[in-house]
Amino acid sequence: MNDAPPILRVTQPNDIPDAGLDLVADVVVIGSGASGAVMAYELSRDGAKVVVLEAGPYLPSTEFTEHTPTAFETLYQDHGNQTNTTGDLIVLQGKCIGGSTVVNAAACFRTPDQVLEHWRTEHGLENLSPEALAPYFEKVERNLSIHQNEPHEVNYNGRLLLEGAAKLGIPASPATRNVKNCALSGHCLAACRTDRKQSMLVTYLPWASELGATILSGTRAETFEVNGRRITAVNAVATGAEGREKPVRVEAGLVVVAAGPIQTPLLFQKNELANSSGQIGLNFACHPSLAVLGEHASSIYAWVGASITAHAGDVENPLLGGYLIEAAAAGPVSTSSSVDGGVGPDFVDFMQRSKNMQSAVTLIHDHNVGRVYLGDDGQKKIEYDLDDRDFESLRRALRGTARIYFAAGAKRVFLPTTRRTTIESADEIDSVIKSLTNGKHKYRLTSYHPQGTMRMGADPTKSVVAPDGRCHDLDNVYVPDASLFPSSIMVNPQVTVYAMASYIADEIKARG
Amino acid sequence: MKHRLHRRTFTKLSLLSGGALVVPAIGAAPVRASNGFVLSADDRMLIETFAEAMLPTEGTSLKPQSEVPIADNVAHALALLDDPVLEQVRLGFKLFDYGAFLVGFHFKRFVNLSIEQRVDYIHRWEDGIATQRGIVDLLKKLTYLGYWKDLEAARAIGYLGPVSVAGGVPNLGNAPMPPSDPKP
Repeated sequence: MNDAPPILRVTQPNDIPDAGLDLVADVVVIGSGASGAVMAYELSRDGAKVVVLEAGPYLPSTEFTEHTPTAFETLYQDHGNQTNTTGDLIVLQGKCIGGSTVVNAAACFRTPDQVLEHWRTEHGLENLSPEALAPYFEKVERNLSIHQNEPHEVNYNGRLLLEGAAKLGIPASPATRNVKNCALSGHCLAACRTDRKQSMLVTYLPWASELGATILSGTRAETFEVNGRRITAVNAVATGAEGREKPVRVEAGLVVVAAGPIQTPLLFQKNELANSSGQIGLNFACHPSLAVLGEHASSIYAWVGASITAHAGDVENPLLGGYLIEAAAAGPVSTSSSVDGGVGPDFVDFMQRSKNMQSAVTLIHDHNVGRVYLGDDGQKKIEYDLDDRDFESLRRALRGTARIYFAAGAKRVFLPTTRRTTIESADEIDSVIKSLTNGKHKYRLTSYHPQGTMRMGADPTKSVVAPDGRCHDLDNVYVPDASLFPSSIMVNPQVTVYAMASYIADEIKARG
Repeated sequence: MKHRLHRRTFTKLSLLSGGALVVPAIGAAPVRASNGFVLSADDRMLIETFAEAMLPTEGTSLKPQSEVPIADNVAHALALLDDPVLEQVRLGFKLFDYGAFLVGFHFKRFVNLSIEQRVDYIHRWEDGIATQRGIVDLLKKLTYLGYWKDLEAARAIGYLGPVSVAGGVPNLGNAPMPPSDPKP
């Protein structure tokens, strides 16, 4: 066995002849993110000839700038400007080789048992018990160096969260991340410049490449060729320099659509395929996230160190009103955008004191009330407005965060409203939180975790994907990405996606 | 007194108001501006007068906002948008600018208000209907981005910016193939 590190070989649009490419493979994988990369590796390891089509560009880590605005522009879907149709929720997704795993904050959680039990009882997923998934969790945790932060990886901001939670008896612990020898640069969301984050870019994709997988960047899957209950070929477009488009056709016996919870349903809708249930694009959930800042008397520099250092909350009870608070921070663009510091002198004063701000984001288990579809203008639409039930969960999360901040010594808390809202003391928490009302453009909402648009379930009349990951309506098409989640999971979803993709790959191998 | 605006086509307008509106770093590779967008004189005036109201940096430790090319940075960010969205954004600019004739009964454009009047006008829109809230939040976030993308401005509040290259932190490279999954 060669001990040299595996090399990631990527065919970029400029490498493709003007006449295009016509490829034949055993498996074509659409998308190179968390699920696509795992599928590519696992099936390559099984001896399959795999072709991966990624719409986004290939940027090696040496081209990462550690400048968040630049990263949004070059590595994120719609340059970081993907939103719901209302326009008050930004939906962040990576669009590059490695997908969102390149630009996430590296937080890792197993799927809460309560969620898996809900999937079993409500969606017939008897096969996805905690016991059945445990070997898959263990495997990806081992492969991706997933571990709980060491003490030196928890910055002052994280320690404040832990201290405040401890005083209140709220469960809390250092975060668990897929990072190896973290350099603590604080630039996870701008992609790891030094390959410490074990994203798909430095793990499963180079492993798949080393095993013979062909990986194309800048190549967007467009149409399917269909014969009965089978997709026989995928037609894609590679866009090279100066916008020159080149056709790419991949004929394959097996098709894996792993383009993520926005693009995967759109691709099926565009091809009018696999939707006998009428569920494609429905059931969109996204973990609407809110940031909360707490001003302290001393400097904190929350943006120094790991991007996520600790978490607090009732992680095991997402369906019973639990919420998750993650100590996290980025630079001044994020700080100013996540809460409203005011206008004029108020804003200037707020930013001058931003180094004194304790910082965290909240996550909740939201209901699947959204929809992703192609509009009459041919453009994607993400229809999602905050449900009143979920607004109550958000209020609980905001209240919990404020309590922790004051317990940790904060003298003022800034809430994520679009007009400056502060809580000046612990005594004010309940009255201020109670005064918040649901509505459009009232909160600075961000989704890092879209999911649910290709629901998995045992009943083909109520779901798109069967329990083994195969589309109910098609014999050779699998969907392994977060779009198959029957309900939102509250926690950061990357580990669930890795494990589910590993599980589905085994189902494919067993099927032969 | 609050004045209502018709909702019209502004459902997508706050595309930019989500917080991640982006422009490239100083010294970063230029990104194509496929739509050839150029900020109009009116729009530039709006961005500049809005920034004056939002960021009165004189006498503070912050980098003077007049020394940061906020409008240019905003123009570059807008150039990344699709044409239909950009059209709505510019319509939002107009509504905000000319809305001052009625909202607050100033009978003049926003760009011609005093600083105090501008701050008051911004607050009125913050308290307005959803469309108003979306438009004013868009303008705020454009201002945040246009200003804080400047690394000198960011460093004035203690933010370090890029650190790995300057600190000589080595790249680890790709992870080795898992021992349990050797190459065939």
